[in-house]
Amino acid sequence: MLEIKDLHAAVDGKEILKGLSLTVNAGEVHAIMGPNGSGKSTLSYVLAGRAGYKITSGSIRYRGEDLAALAPEERAAKGIFLAMQYPVEIPGVTTLTFLKTALNAQRRARGESELDAMGVLKRVRARASELKVSEEMLKRALNVGFSGGEKKRLEILQMALFEPRLAILDETDSGLDIDALKLVAEGVNALRAPERAMLVITHYQRLLQYIVPDRVHVLSAGRIVREGGPELAHELEAKGYEDIVRSAA
Amino acid sequence: MNVALDARRLKAAEEFRAAGVPHRRMEAWKYSDLRPLIDAEQVASAPAAQWSIEAEGVELFDPAAGEGAFAGIMGEASLAFATATLGLRVKAAGRVRIAFATPGQARLRIVLDDGARLDYVESAPGGGLQNIGTEIVLGRGARMTHARLAQRAGGARIGDVSVTVAEGGCYRLHCADFGSDLSRLELDIKLRGIGAQAHLSGTSVLAQGLHADVTTHVDHAAGDTCSTQLFKLVAADKARAVYQGRITVRQGADGSDSRQTAKGLLLAERAEIDLKPELEIFADEVKCAHGAAVGDLDADSLFYLRSRGIADDEARALLIRAFLAEPLDEVEDEAMRAALWAAIEDALPGAMGQP
Repeated sequence: MLEIKDLHAAVDGKEILKGLSLTVNAGEVHAIMGPNGSGKSTLSYVLAGRAGYKITSGSIRYRGEDLAALAPEERAAKGIFLAMQYPVEIPGVTTLTFLKTALNAQRRARGESELDAMGVLKRVRARASELKVSEEMLKRALNVGFSGGEKKRLEILQMALFEPRLAILDETDSGLDIDALKLVAEGVNALRAPERAMLVITHYQRLLQYIVPDRVHVLSAGRIVREGGPELAHELEAKGYEDIVRSAA
Repeated sequence: MNVALDARRLKAAEEFRAAGVPHRRMEAWKYSDLRPLIDAEQVASAPAAQWSIEAEGVELFDPAAGEGAFAGIMGEASLAFATATLGLRVKAAGRVRIAFATPGQARLRIVLDDGARLDYVESAPGGGLQNIGTEIVLGRGARMTHARLAQRAGGARIGDVSVTVAEGGCYRLHCADFGSDLSRLELDIKLRGIGAQAHLSGTSVLAQGLHADVTTHVDHAAGDTCSTQLFKLVAADKARAVYQGRITVRQGADGSDSRQTAKGLLLAERAEIDLKPELEIFADEVKCAHGAAVGDLDADSLFYLRSRGIADDEARALLIRAFLAEPLDEVEDEAMRAALWAAIEDALPGAMGQP
């Protein structure tokens, strides 16, 4: 699904990722853990194709294709989804209009037929109730006045609606209380599937109690310094990053 | 013959000739230089503008009598020189659709009797020199909704609107300007009676080297008066969008409430947006809020939309529409709102650098 080899990437001329390698297969959930400033968010933006995040060397292959050559919208249409740490508020665009525009843009790019408003609403409704996304939220401007939990739930609702092949969750747990965290985690777990891969980026082990990963990678100073099974997350929680990073060096 | 008006017109002509065609060294015309486009003689000898009109519930009259009020110098010129005149009087409920079909000059006087209502839609396609002076008088409790669509054009297009609102009356304006070599809508609104209101909203969407200027002066001359203004301007390429808004709250106009918001969206480095809000307050008990800001398309928003599969152009268009939505939402009449949106949709590809 995803094969990252010796990736170096820079933001504003400053190298943040320094030789990162990672392979994720279909059906797997991988966690990327690391201290602040280790390059976690940079990795998510590089994968989604944000302007200003420049790949200086190395490669990212997604389903056999060179990802660097694709615009963000092309990546989305091909099944890459990034649940953002800070979902953007857009006044003047209702949430439902946004969902319809995005879903149809992806479908159009894949040569599928567009859905009318009712068709979109049906699909949204089918997924909204489990995530406690109300009709009233859908009528409001995108993310405007949403609480932290509402924003994250809407991110997961989008993930359910777009049915991506590769979902990247960037600090989805940040700003959530325990109930909201459980709700979001259940939403994510419901989407685990043999044809879908997930990359869960998080600072804390807390989220991984609910979304149990197949593999855990520790990112430090732009490189993966340790890898292991789900037990590695517990070790990190017990010992802290400093210990792990030092012993890996 | 109306001796008083003739004297007033003569005085207006004298004053216009003394001041000359407005230019950028005049404070009120700092961002809108008319002098390279026309000279005083062209203004004085401008032909009569022609229009087509559909009207219901309206009496036509010869506007020989009247105060001859105007908002700015070009309004004064229309008073002095326009040979085409039109008077509209509404006693109960009226509906007017007027389209100025040719360049030239005209002078209109619109009078709403106490308690009357008027739904007035004006389109000003411009071309050459178009100078339309409109004087509006709202009686007690009268309500007028004025929509003005200024299509993309060439030449100098001026609309000068002077409004007086009596006790409990309400004037609403929705304007959209898609630019010309020089396009200016200048308004002077006097809230003369207790509880009088004015609500102004507008948009400009400009591409290439086009220009559009909205200049307003709202004068709170009585107590408990209320005014709101909401303008959103978009400028691409080398376009220039201008908003100047002065609010005066006079001594004794206690309990007045005025809100003013102007926002600009710059789509290109060489585009220019000038926002100049001004407040003059001489009363004690008033509520006034104003804000003005210019920015470009938000990079975070753009990336967010693109990461959801929305192509760059479509994402930009979505954000521009979202930026413009607020003033359009204030348009109560659905057909009017749809017409304004359609005009914006026409202008968007140009503003986004598409053919």
